[in-house]
Amino acid sequence: MTGNALELRAVTKQYGPVTALAGVDLTVGEGETVALLGPNGAGKSTLLSIALGLRAPGSGTATVLGRRPVEALRAGGVGVLLQESGLLEDVRVAELVTAVAGMYPKPLAPERAMRAAGVEDLAGQRVGRLSGGQRQRVRFALCVVGDPGLLILDEPTVGLDVAGRRALWQEVRDRTARGRTAVFATHYLTEADDYADRIVLLAGGEVVADGPVSTVKALVGGREVRCRLYGGDLADLEILPGVLQVDVEGGGPGGASVALRTNDSDATLRGLFAMYDDVRDVRVDTTDLENAFMTLTGGRGR
Amino acid sequence: MRSYLRLEIVRGLRNPAGLVLLVLFPLGLYLLGTEVLDVVPPGLADGFAARTMVSMATYGALGGALFIVGGAIALERGKGWPAQLAVTPLPAHGYVTAKLVAGAIWVLPGILVVLAAGALVSGVRLPPATWPLLVALIWVGVLPFAALGIAIGYALRGQAANLAMMTVYFGLSVLGGLWLPVEAMPAGMRAVAEYSPAYLAGSPAWRALDGVPPTAASIAALAGWTLLFAALALWRYRRAL
Repeated sequence: MTGNALELRAVTKQYGPVTALAGVDLTVGEGETVALLGPNGAGKSTLLSIALGLRAPGSGTATVLGRRPVEALRAGGVGVLLQESGLLEDVRVAELVTAVAGMYPKPLAPERAMRAAGVEDLAGQRVGRLSGGQRQRVRFALCVVGDPGLLILDEPTVGLDVAGRRALWQEVRDRTARGRTAVFATHYLTEADDYADRIVLLAGGEVVADGPVSTVKALVGGREVRCRLYGGDLADLEILPGVLQVDVEGGGPGGASVALRTNDSDATLRGLFAMYDDVRDVRVDTTDLENAFMTLTGGRGR
Repeated sequence: MRSYLRLEIVRGLRNPAGLVLLVLFPLGLYLLGTEVLDVVPPGLADGFAARTMVSMATYGALGGALFIVGGAIALERGKGWPAQLAVTPLPAHGYVTAKLVAGAIWVLPGILVVLAAGALVSGVRLPPATWPLLVALIWVGVLPFAALGIAIGYALRGQAANLAMMTVYFGLSVLGGLWLPVEAMPAGMRAVAEYSPAYLAGSPAWRALDGVPPTAASIAALAGWTLLFAALALWRYRRAL
């Protein structure tokens, strides 16, 4: 077969009246790091579970490493981190990792996987005593211990603290640097930005954008400038440099609450201070992804 | 597969609640019935201790087959562990197989402890070859309950599974004459009891006490229950995947 890690062809999925996937085509080549982005309910988890053969597609086909998904899993070619999957409670972390390692043809040393996931200090602990974040790290250790060629991670950093996130992405990056493939679902644009080389944007069960990170980022609009304005002509906000969209609440002597979506926040700020005398409470945020999706998909994100 | 099997076997040592239910409880009931209380049904005084020993060993093993296999499946399904295993190379039938092997091992302590109490406390004396035969017969006799456990484990979760297991465990044990012999039952009830799975599980070992082989009818009936429960288990297992 070809060198594709993952191939979905015209995949659909229907839950009763709800369309979870409306015909998705997706090809991930070996060695790619792909972020699957989308608001809640966009179909990210459904797509991944069909790609893994855990759910049957309504129509269409899924292929992993050139085989049926279940065969690829059984052959040990895939490491998977699912959202909130269960763990055995009455065993020690090291025992669990070792048992799972033994299922793969060429596993890492369990100690190596535990170190990568930051759970080496918990090796002797019962899984049942761990916190939510610690459990997530154990799941990650189980995901990499088989040393698979393809990693599939569904919202891997949920519940992790900063150190945990950093360790997880460090390991993912180490692996992809060695030519392994990683596909992860997230709704944090920054994670996609920092760790993926390609973004697939999913909304309302369809791929609405697919391409290099920079392309897709430009599409969903980079930043949001928020401030309060007292006086001045609010209509001029539209002509500030970089501004794509303007939202204003209130006005008059009490001041107006302003939100500007912009693709050049530096230029927008310079223009803002030049044009208005009384600008207060300025904040610059990454665009709220959910809102960006709504714009991009004409509301199909819901 | 082997690494996971090892883990499942080791886990059997870690379950104090299971130990109480499946070893200490049958042992306690055995000692209560033979050494403490005066509950020998009229006309059954001969060999009562040996008979009760087999009953209670079967009772413990039956619980082991139900809970170590099916009870654990229901519990772990509730926690989402099989969903995690589904994305590893271990096939779903590998999980069930590991449970069955662990169950096959961990029903033995209950059997052995009750038989030991019979020999050491009550002074039950049998030909040396009969002892291992008893263990083997009881061990095989509870097979249908392993299948039934799997069926319940894949049909129900959490409290509902627990309740179903307990109901089946106590209900069938009482009906099968494991607590009090079927000879103490009224004729109608006894007729039903003698074809119930728990009676059939104990029957070959009871007969072995007298040195007679199991009846063909009881073996056929036991096989019938095993097939029925196995079909039920397979059906629920496939539905749950």
